[in-house]
Amino acid sequence: MLRERPSRLTAPALIAVVLWAWFLGPRIRYIFAAVLIVGTVAAFMTNGRYALRRIVGVVPILIAVSFVVFSLMAVLPGDPAINILGPSATPDAVEQVRTELGLDEPFFNRYGDWLGDLVMGDLGTSVQRRQPVAEGIGQSITPSLQLMVYSVILASLLAFPLGVYAAYKQGRRPDRVINTVMLGFFAVPNFVIAVNLVLFFAIGGLSVFGTRLGLKVLPGAGYVEFGENPVEHFKRMLLPSLSLALGQSAVFMRLLRSDMIGTLRLPFIDLARSKGLSTNRILWHHALRPSMFTLLTVMGFSIGALIGGALITEVIFTLPGIGSFMFESISRRDYISVQGGTLVIATLYVMILVMVDFLYLALDPRLRTTGGGLGGGNG
Amino acid sequence: MVSPVGSGSPPGMTAQLAVSGVEMAEAAELAQLEADPEKGGIPGARRRKKLGPLFWAAVTYLTLLTLAAIFAPVLPLKDYAKTFKGTSKDGPTLTYWLGNDGAGHDIFSRIIYGAQVSLIVAFVGAIFALLIGGSIGLAAGYYRRTVDTIVTAVLDATLVIPPLLLALSLILFLDPDAQRRVFILILVFVVLSIAPIARVVRASTLVWSEREFVMAAKTMGARDGRIMLREVLPNVAPALVSYALIVMANLIVVEGAVSFLGLSVPPPTPTWGDMINKGRTDLDVAAHIVLFPALAMFFTVLSLNYVGDRLQERFEARESVL
Repeated sequence: MLRERPSRLTAPALIAVVLWAWFLGPRIRYIFAAVLIVGTVAAFMTNGRYALRRIVGVVPILIAVSFVVFSLMAVLPGDPAINILGPSATPDAVEQVRTELGLDEPFFNRYGDWLGDLVMGDLGTSVQRRQPVAEGIGQSITPSLQLMVYSVILASLLAFPLGVYAAYKQGRRPDRVINTVMLGFFAVPNFVIAVNLVLFFAIGGLSVFGTRLGLKVLPGAGYVEFGENPVEHFKRMLLPSLSLALGQSAVFMRLLRSDMIGTLRLPFIDLARSKGLSTNRILWHHALRPSMFTLLTVMGFSIGALIGGALITEVIFTLPGIGSFMFESISRRDYISVQGGTLVIATLYVMILVMVDFLYLALDPRLRTTGGGLGGGNG
Repeated sequence: MVSPVGSGSPPGMTAQLAVSGVEMAEAAELAQLEADPEKGGIPGARRRKKLGPLFWAAVTYLTLLTLAAIFAPVLPLKDYAKTFKGTSKDGPTLTYWLGNDGAGHDIFSRIIYGAQVSLIVAFVGAIFALLIGGSIGLAAGYYRRTVDTIVTAVLDATLVIPPLLLALSLILFLDPDAQRRVFILILVFVVLSIAPIARVVRASTLVWSEREFVMAAKTMGARDGRIMLREVLPNVAPALVSYALIVMANLIVVEGAVSFLGLSVPPPTPTWGDMINKGRTDLDVAAHIVLFPALAMFFTVLSLNYVGDRLQERFEARESVL
């Protein structure tokens, strides 16, 4: 039964997990971990081979990432010991710190040690922060994950109706208007959107001939934990999430539209129409699902890219997320934090991509039979 | 081949990574390159669309901006570093076309000089990335097997690191004192764009090197290098050039972000991102300080994307995918 409709098990399980985490103190980290676990288990139950191949496929990527990150930091000029001690340090002191950090060992020994520590969950200790890197990242990951989730929700709320509607009206005026406006959003850099949102919603807008064009309803910066004050939390997260969502929704909408136009030309749509189904039902029930494959892939990429990629948004809105953490570490030349942070970000990214791969199992029945993933359908 | 773009290749695609949504769409489109537009295909899709007035407006804007940036020193522009007394935060006037910023600088000349940085860095970056990424992608797509596996793994590994993060770390670690920032910026941008370009070229090469004429060249005993350059490259190139415009647009955005954070070319040289950042403090009283550089960047990015999109559409002779 599960093989035919895996969503019957996964959907309630996911909802239960989210609700449970919500009431037991909304620790988004736990929700994230739980989603990963439920997703993986469900994927294994649906099509074990497919799931296994995806998970095994991740290992070389992660090893390559760790190698790239490590060698990048090792190759870069500038002695971390001098960075820590300052330029006036005596050679003896520098030598001592280098030995402490293990910098005088050969490259591959250091890489091996680092990798070994990683597997044990030890990302090293930042000298500048006097704190283990893992701890620093753990503290800053929550706002970033929240920002990611909220902005994807907002982007989807915008992109899905617009994309479906534009595809339905393809080539006609509504389609052209939607396309032009969205292309506009796409071309505005994030930080410009952010600055403008602050202008119009946080500090009262422009003054044109004595009248103010804009509102002063939302705070322009700062972060409040959800547990502390949910209303205030959402008020503060709205502008940052929106500034990320507008650009994303443009990408989502364009992809959904172009795939949907392709789907609407297929014979099964004509069949549905001749059965007398309503337009809405055809669009949202029949045409949407097969039009979502490219979109889903891209959503995975852009959701993943938001972890750490939202750096500038976090800096503008002073959110204490992992983007701010990385920006601070880079500015302080904190090699160890930058290494660890980049690796964590990349790993989360890859994990999200795997989850998206698993979502295909729910979307595409052809993949549910063992071996179905090999051919990938016949188009 | 009327199938929706995604349904032919759902699982395989995701195992490979890409940097942005646009690029994914690009790869999906390229992977599906239709046969020669002259032969076959869907009858309706063969009709070539006109490029349209918007296309030419975008080209005109880009040309004017480029010319202005190149000839800025000989144009009758005001000194971008000079502060004009008593003009702080003034709106547009006949003397100062786009008004003045908080310090009394002329915004118009700062935008033109700011374009120098953005355009040079993005253009040179994209050219080198095109050369390097193009060769890598061509080799990976043509030789396949081991070469392809290794190249793809390395590309994937760089693509999962957020570009801005990579850019900032490289800039600050390579050039902490801003001694040779322009050079470093270009270097960083080349590094950032190699992977996306290589991926697109690889995807396209995979398709083209399956074709009959490549087979024919092989049977006639042509060397690999010759086949890649004379048979495959000419077919990959048109789509690649239009993709390069989109890469340039992305680079201008990244440069804007970097300069917004104050890490691009140091003052007194103006940059758009820095102008936007400095203007933020006066946003409520003098929004034009932020507005004009933001608009300049917006139109540049929009034009590059639009021109790139249109050219791509034209080369691919497909009407359904925007």
